[in-house]
Formats: sequence, C-alpha cells, structure tokens
Amino acid sequence: MAEETVDVLIIGSGHSGGMAAKILTEKGISCLMLNAGPIADVQRDTQRKPAYALPYRGFKEPGRLPHVFQSNEFNANTWVDEHEVPYTYDPKKPYNWVRVRLFGGRSLFWSRQSFRLSDYELKGKSHDGYGDDWPISLADLAPYYSKVEGIFRVRGHSDGLAQYPDGNFIEDNAPWSGSMQRFVDAGQRAGVRVCKARSSEGVNGLASSVNLLLPDAFATGKLQAIPNVVVREIRTDKNTGLANEVHFVDRLSRREMSVRARVIVLAAGTLESTRLLLNSKLANSSGVMGHYLIDQIYGAGVVCSVPEARDGKAAPGLMGGSALIPRFRNIDTKAKNFIRGYAMNVYSSNGPMDPRNIAAYGEELQQKLESYHGSTFGAGIMGEVLARYENHVSIDKNVVDAWDIPVLRIDTKYTDNEFNMARDAVDTTVSLAEAAGFEVLSKNYDPNPPGYSIHELGTCRMGDDPKTSVLNKWCQSHDVKNLVVVDGASFVSGGWQNPTMTILALAMRASDHLADEMRRGNV
Amino acid sequence: MRRRDFVKGIVAVSATARSVLAQQGTQVAPSTPPPVPTAPGPVPWMRGMSEVNRVPVNSILPDAVAQTNAHFFTGPEMVTLRRLCEILLPPIKNYPGAIQAGTPEFLDFLIGASPADRQEMYRAGLHRLDAEASERFGVAFANVTSAQADQLIRPWLRTWMSDHPPTEPYEQFMNVAHSDIRTATINSQAWSDAERAEGEAAPDMGLYWFPVEPDMYRERIPVLQRPSPQKRHS
Repeated sequence: MAEETVDVLIIGSGHSGGMAAKILTEKGISCLMLNAGPIADVQRDTQRKPAYALPYRGFKEPGRLPHVFQSNEFNANTWVDEHEVPYTYDPKKPYNWVRVRLFGGRSLFWSRQSFRLSDYELKGKSHDGYGDDWPISLADLAPYYSKVEGIFRVRGHSDGLAQYPDGNFIEDNAPWSGSMQRFVDAGQRAGVRVCKARSSEGVNGLASSVNLLLPDAFATGKLQAIPNVVVREIRTDKNTGLANEVHFVDRLSRREMSVRARVIVLAAGTLESTRLLLNSKLANSSGVMGHYLIDQIYGAGVVCSVPEARDGKAAPGLMGGSALIPRFRNIDTKAKNFIRGYAMNVYSSNGPMDPRNIAAYGEELQQKLESYHGSTFGAGIMGEVLARYENHVSIDKNVVDAWDIPVLRIDTKYTDNEFNMARDAVDTTVSLAEAAGFEVLSKNYDPNPPGYSIHELGTCRMGDDPKTSVLNKWCQSHDVKNLVVVDGASFVSGGWQNPTMTILALAMRASDHLADEMRRGNV
Repeated sequence: MRRRDFVKGIVAVSATARSVLAQQGTQVAPSTPPPVPTAPGPVPWMRGMSEVNRVPVNSILPDAVAQTNAHFFTGPEMVTLRRLCEILLPPIKNYPGAIQAGTPEFLDFLIGASPADRQEMYRAGLHRLDAEASERFGVAFANVTSAQADQLIRPWLRTWMSDHPPTEPYEQFMNVAHSDIRTATINSQAWSDAERAEGEAAPDMGLYWFPVEPDMYRERIPVLQRPSPQKRHS
C-alpha cells in the first residue's frame, strides 16, 4: 500500500486545474491530478456518421440530458448524465447544470470568447452601490490576463474602452463585412459602440487545458494524473486543522481509496468544488459557502435577414463575420429598470436560414429558405446576473449519485433585473438592426433557464473578511490555509463576460502565490 | 519475502492455487501472477482476433428495406399525423416528402418513447386539428383539401428561436410538430440519398461520440452494496 504524501493534489483537469498544474510544476513542485472521468481519444471514441444512422435520427434521445440544451444525439455521450450524477431543485425553479467529466473537463468544448473583467465588475459596488467589491482590481489581474492571453493566443482589437479592457492580443484589423459595417454605423448613430469580438485561437483550433496547459506540466516530469476517480471527501488533520487527505472512489471498480497531500487545490468546476467542500464539512466558518450563485443570462436575442443578400445576390464581402457590443448601459448613464449591463454577440452568416424564422410551410417555405439563404444576421445576449445571497446550493442528503455521494440541491432564479435587462437588449438590437436596413424575422425576450450559459460562478466567494467570504484574495481558504480553490467558485460578481480568461488568470495568480508560500514554508 | 512465507500465503488461497504451485515447483518468482484460468480443452478463444481486419459485411440500416410498425398513436391520430406530414412537407423537386421519408412512423416511435408532456402535446394537438376540420369543413383532417388545411394551419404558424417555441399549447404543437416533421424528414436516409443524387457530398455527416469508458457497473450497485435503502437516484 502506498504511503506517499504528494506535495500538491489537484482535483480537476480543466482550464483551472491545468493552469495550476502548469504553474506549480514549472516551479518544481510535484503534483498529482485526479479527474472524475476518463481520457477521451478522438480516434477511438468518435466516428463520422450520418444522422439517419443514429437511433433517433439526430433527435435527442427522449428523456436524456433534459437540462443540457447544448446536447444532441451526436455529442450526448460527452456530457455528464444527470441520472448518474443527479442534482435536485424546485420544479418551479429549474437549473441547467451542464457538466463534462472527460479529462480536460469543459475546456474541451467552449465558445472561445476571451474577455477581461473590468473594474465596473471587480469594483461594481463602488460604482453603483450594489453587492460587494472584489478584494482585487483589474490592476492586480492585468499581468496574469496578459500571460493567459499569450498562451491562448487571443485575437482581438484594442478599443480603448474602460468597460472592455484591452489585452495582449493578436491584433484583429480585418475590415468589417458590408452588413456588419452597416450595423456598426447604426450603432454609432445611436451611441452604441460595436466592437470586434475577442476569441482564443489556441493551437490547431483547440484552446484547451489538454493542449495548452497540461503538456507543459507533464513535460516537467513533476505531474502525474489519475483519471476515473471520483473524490468523495477532503479530510483534515485533527491537530492542525489542515487538509491532509483525499478520499476517492474508483469510478469503474468502486474501490474506495485515499491519498495524502500537503496542499489541496480544488479545480473541479464551481459547483462540484463547492459540493465537495460542503460534503466534507470544510472551510465554511463564514456560513456563506454555497451562497451567491451567479451565472449569466443567455437565450434572448434577435434573428434578421439582410435584404440585399437574398436570392444569391450578395455582393462579395457583404455577409460574414462577428462583432460584440460590450456593456454600454449604466456606465455613464442610468437605465430605468435595471442595474449593471449586458453585451450582445453579433453575427452575420453566409449559411442557410433556420426555417423557424419563417412562418410558412411546404413549397412556400422551401422557396423562402432558398431566397433567404446566406442573408442571416443575428444577435444574442450575454447579461450579468446579480450576486444574491438567496441564490444558493446545499447538500441534498436524500439523494446520492452513482457512487453514493450526496448530491447538490440548487435553488436559484432570475428576477426583474435580469428580465428587464433582456428586454432592453432585444429592443435595442431590433432598433439597431432596423436602422441598418435589416428585416427582423424573430425575437425572443425570455432568457434560458439559469445555468444554461455554463458560466456558474460564486458559492465560495473571495473577500478580505473571513466572516463574509470563504476564500481570501489569493483563492486560499480563510479557514484551511493549505486549501486553494482555483475555479470559478471564487467570483464575487460575474459581469457579462465569458469567465474563462478570468478563471485562468485567477488560477495562475493563485498558483504563483501558493508556490511562493510553499517555498517560504507558510503552507 | 522468505520462501516459507510465500508458500504459506499461497496455500491459504485455494486448492487450485496449490496445484498450480505444485506444477511449477520452486522456480516461480514471487512476482509472477497466477495464470489466467482457461476453459477446459484446447480452445484458443481469441487466437487470430488481433490480426483480423475489418469484417467485410455489407450492412444496411433497417429503414432501407423495412417499415416502422406504428403502435403509439391511435388509428385516427395516425391518419391525422400522416395528413399533417403530407401538407407540411410534400415532395419538392427531387427530394422526398415526409411521407416518403417514413416520418409519421418515425415520429410514432419517437413520441412513443418521449416524456408524457411531449406525448400529451402531440395527442391534444392532433385531436384539436381533427376537431377543427370536422367543425369547419365537416370532414376529418385526413380528408381536408390543401386549401382547407391551409386555413387550419397557417393562422398558428409563428417564428421562434431555439429553445423558445410558442408557449400557447396549440401554437406550440403546430410549430414544434412542424419542426419535428422537417427534422425527421431531412435527417432520413431517403433525404440523404436524394442529396447524394443531387451531387452534394455527405451533407448530413456529423462527429458521433461513442460512450467513453462507460460505467456499466452502476445498475448493479444498489443490489450489492447500497447501505441505505432511503437513498435513491432521482
């Protein structure tokens, strides 16, 4: 039986776990990584097939993955099945918890949108009086953002907007397509800035922990990894109160095992990290663990058609490309019925028109689809959800997962602030699209259920006061100093921004600090 | 480990292990694993399997030669669904319509396997469509003309975005059923064959993920070792 004590045990292999492994091992610290799922091998695990060869002709298997709107029959086996790892909720307040347990986690499948938080988010309370400021500012994070952007090869344009901070970009100076230029001009006339989107190019199209972070960590010879082990509990030394052991179960054999560690880094993804800490009854002297669950509103949006692009008559360069309207509400002015703000993802497409945007059928519909082919112009919201104490998760002791681990109960809902924000986003976009000369075909004011954005954040918020926060500004537990949470659980507010760059920057910063503290003997 | 301890340990295991040890004498290194039990007789179960290339089977899908036996919808519901399919997606140019793609029968299978709320949406919608046909034109929906069908369908068509179909139940039925009929037809082998005939190269191919190291053990767990009968999967 192995009695080895590892230096740092990292739970989770996604963006945050991968970053922690890279930083710590490059500083000479030995790490062991545990991951709940298997290692995917695209050569072995995939095959190109026509939809008709699948059991349900490309429809989702009935009853399977009801809360994963992103799933389809082709990719259904990549998501966590909620029958295997359930969670509970009030049926009146559904939550879409979208999870991947393959090695690399959700870093394997993400939208690549790469943004920095601004001080309008990090110091939101100072700006509008709501919620709490983070204990750090953009100036603290900026050096780490720059390094992360370099690793992930972020393409973007420097716009000089305080609410859309510039970064270390592969500069995007490509001209707008004709349709996008018309939308940009319409925005300018309305005082709404339309900017270039910002996106991680990664390497060979992949911008994941498994190709950008973990290879560097493994190359040091200081990282070992165990796939297919589900962590049940973190245990502490009764004398010191420090975390010293992790109890896990082999996913396939059900063998129960333990490993000892000097430091534990949690990177299982916001809600899995919090679930593990709650099940371990650890690091919650503040009582706020599980509270302040945040995500972002998605789903509200607009679909249009560019008339000049119909019937195959689009001039070269008229269609194509994407843009982003960064937050513009509640910066210098005050919106009438909501605080904070939203961004809009904008796209112009040369591809087919979704038939749901045309209220016709049969031959008439077919003729219109042919006519409207290559003329789609659309936009979708990414809106801030306010951090509220009452939006929270807890352990449901009556339900266990496939490994007898108690599951999470999720209790969260949107309020008028989010609904009003979504309505404003759609109405504003419609007015810009019409001003640009586009025909609005469809619009939707209703956000998707909470969780849909896959940007669950908070529940172990950071802060300077141990009585009101779980982690300090280094993502280190106030209560258990050799426990660090490097995923999105530390967020105090979420903003509208895809949080990936911020999670990576926080993980890098926390790992740098942890390595220093270990070198000094403080941890 | 001393040889005496090693032998003592092995003897405690089983008679089979003892006989193995006896056959192998004292030349066995302590780290040698016990041999894998084999079936009686000279049966080389797996010989040659690692060398075999892909088996040359000319496999086809059942849809190519067989009909789906409808069993979920009642007879009247099924004829209403067939007529709805016929109206919403008829054959166009060289492409099959919903009937030719076997869409009504496929939807019978799909909806029959679906959660109760989806089943109820279809059943209620088909009943109302048939009732309105009888009320307005004095015939079952299965027998309405195209012009009559248009009067029954068109007022309920809406534009909508992904994941947000109309919420009024009959509007929802009409628009979701329309979308389902189109998807089932366009994803059919008949449609795919037509696309190939039109010279489109594998237009409907996608990257399918097989289960990755699936956990086949899960269903046995409650029987074997679940300590608390109060606990259950949701």
